[in-house]
Amino acid sequence: MDPLLLVTVILGFAMAWNIGANDVANSMGTAVGARAITPKQAAIIAGTMNFLGAYFFGKSVADTIRKGILNVNMIHDPMVIVYGSLSALLAASIWLIFATYNGLPVSTTHSIIGGIVGYGLVYAGSGIVDWGKLGQVVLSWILSPIFGAIVAFFVFKAIRGTILARDDPLRSARHWAPFWTGLAFIVIGTMFYIKVLHGSDLAKGVIFYGIPTGFVVFLLTYALIRVKFKPSDPYIGVESIFRKVQVVTSGYVALAHGSNDVANAVGPIAAAYAVLTVGLSGMKVPVPRWILALGGLGIAIGIFMYGYKVMETVGKKITELTNTRGFSIDFSAATVILVASWLGMPISTTHTVVGAVVGVGLARGVKAINTSILRDIIISWFVTVPVAGLISAVIFKILLLVG
Amino acid sequence: MKLFAKSPFKPLIKHAEVVLETVKTLEKALNAWYHGNYDEMRDLAVEVDRLEDIADRIKEEIRDSLSSRLMMAVSREDVLIYLHMQDKVADSAEDTAKWLLVGRPDGIPKEVKDVILKMGTESIKAAKLVHEAIVQMDRVIESGFAEKEIEREYELIKAIEDVEKAIDELDTELMRLVFENADRFDWSTGFYILNVARTLSNISDKAKDSAERIRLMMNK
Repeated sequence: MDPLLLVTVILGFAMAWNIGANDVANSMGTAVGARAITPKQAAIIAGTMNFLGAYFFGKSVADTIRKGILNVNMIHDPMVIVYGSLSALLAASIWLIFATYNGLPVSTTHSIIGGIVGYGLVYAGSGIVDWGKLGQVVLSWILSPIFGAIVAFFVFKAIRGTILARDDPLRSARHWAPFWTGLAFIVIGTMFYIKVLHGSDLAKGVIFYGIPTGFVVFLLTYALIRVKFKPSDPYIGVESIFRKVQVVTSGYVALAHGSNDVANAVGPIAAAYAVLTVGLSGMKVPVPRWILALGGLGIAIGIFMYGYKVMETVGKKITELTNTRGFSIDFSAATVILVASWLGMPISTTHTVVGAVVGVGLARGVKAINTSILRDIIISWFVTVPVAGLISAVIFKILLLVG
Repeated sequence: MKLFAKSPFKPLIKHAEVVLETVKTLEKALNAWYHGNYDEMRDLAVEVDRLEDIADRIKEEIRDSLSSRLMMAVSREDVLIYLHMQDKVADSAEDTAKWLLVGRPDGIPKEVKDVILKMGTESIKAAKLVHEAIVQMDRVIESGFAEKEIEREYELIKAIEDVEKAIDELDTELMRLVFENADRFDWSTGFYILNVARTLSNISDKAKDSAERIRLMMNK
């Protein structure tokens, strides 16, 4: 194997490892915080689901340059793509390690985009960057959390209205929990079609995947709650119903995460692989199966090695986040991501989840949110692209001088 | 996620439990005093002082944990003032205990003692209701501010106000009794009785103030 390719593969694997280490807490954090699953279970569910999502449903064709953020036609020397991919992967990995170490949920997509813009600027100046596309990405920093917050606000208000505020919350939960679960699975089923099977017809997705999935889950949940549930305190009863639901929804977030974010690690590998084996050929490159497997494995190992620790910290903290709240956050994030994917907007799972937490908080659902942590998180979003870009630019410059 | 902070309600409930224990111990001390077991009374009064110290410590912990950077379901100011009022309930109990310790308990007419003992029993009711009210407040938030839980909370607040009124009446009756019987004891005994009564009625006064704060929490 070409030594350059080997280095790219190693760095891509490191990037995947970081995606697992940094992002697992974002998709499973609410479920662990609400005591729906233990950190160990979370690591197993997230590891498995991320691998499955990445390997089976990861895109088999990747953008040569993630999200087409650079104009490929302006790159005349294909080796620039190889060096650039190396720089971007290394820069994003360094930034993610830093963020993970400091417990900041940052977007892996934005990290890699920052890295790409960084080497692009060094190579050909500002003309090579598609600023419109970059603007869309920047807009997603702002829109993802806002949509997440708005949807979560109303979802929690609705859960309150249909279940918590009723005369007999437990009885209402028996009827409404299956409904909400079903609704969640209409979203999940449709997301499966769009994100996982990469379908494009929303109506088809809703009718053939969303509604049947939702209906089956509705019936199943209804049956399970009727047969298995022993009532005690009404609110504890309601929460224990949603605890079961949360196990499933958090697993799905992990699946979608794997299928969506693996591209951040494998895209640059695939681009370098294509250049080194067959030469550069336009905007898209094929992604061999083994690279997807490598990405999925990297994410899973990242989860088991480091993400697990993050979860343990989450699990040990008394967050007092209850399951109805956790469900509201998961449900809202899933809905926002579905709609955004359908609209073709670049959206960040991380940002949407954080926004949803704030939304439930604004609906007076969460007893206490740390706004100083919230401020740190938001600042980290704004510095992700510039910092990753700067690191990448430096690395790229060095590579050009050495290579 | 570090995003979620620790809720102040569990510690507030813990604080209310200690406050209730303080008032209960004071009532036992009053009982011992009533029956003339002065040694037992002194031990219990010292215990009241100890419990009040514990309540103080919990109060400090809660204050330290309530950073101004928290986004909460209820306003931080309401929580802090509530905590202050709830702590004053224990403070008042400690004040009563102090008077029991320094005063001379002999030579007090039985009818006066009867009223004071009654005030002690009513004070327990007030402290119990405050504890119930803060537990219920946690439930109000858990239910997402559901009408029926708010309704239940209003009933508890109403009950606290009723107890306060009852103690107020007992206090007035006691003052009347002291002045009617003024020639049966010296000024220091009168001073002693009136101060025991004043500190006792403070317990329910502060319980009522706590209840008022809970009302404001729900209205945010």
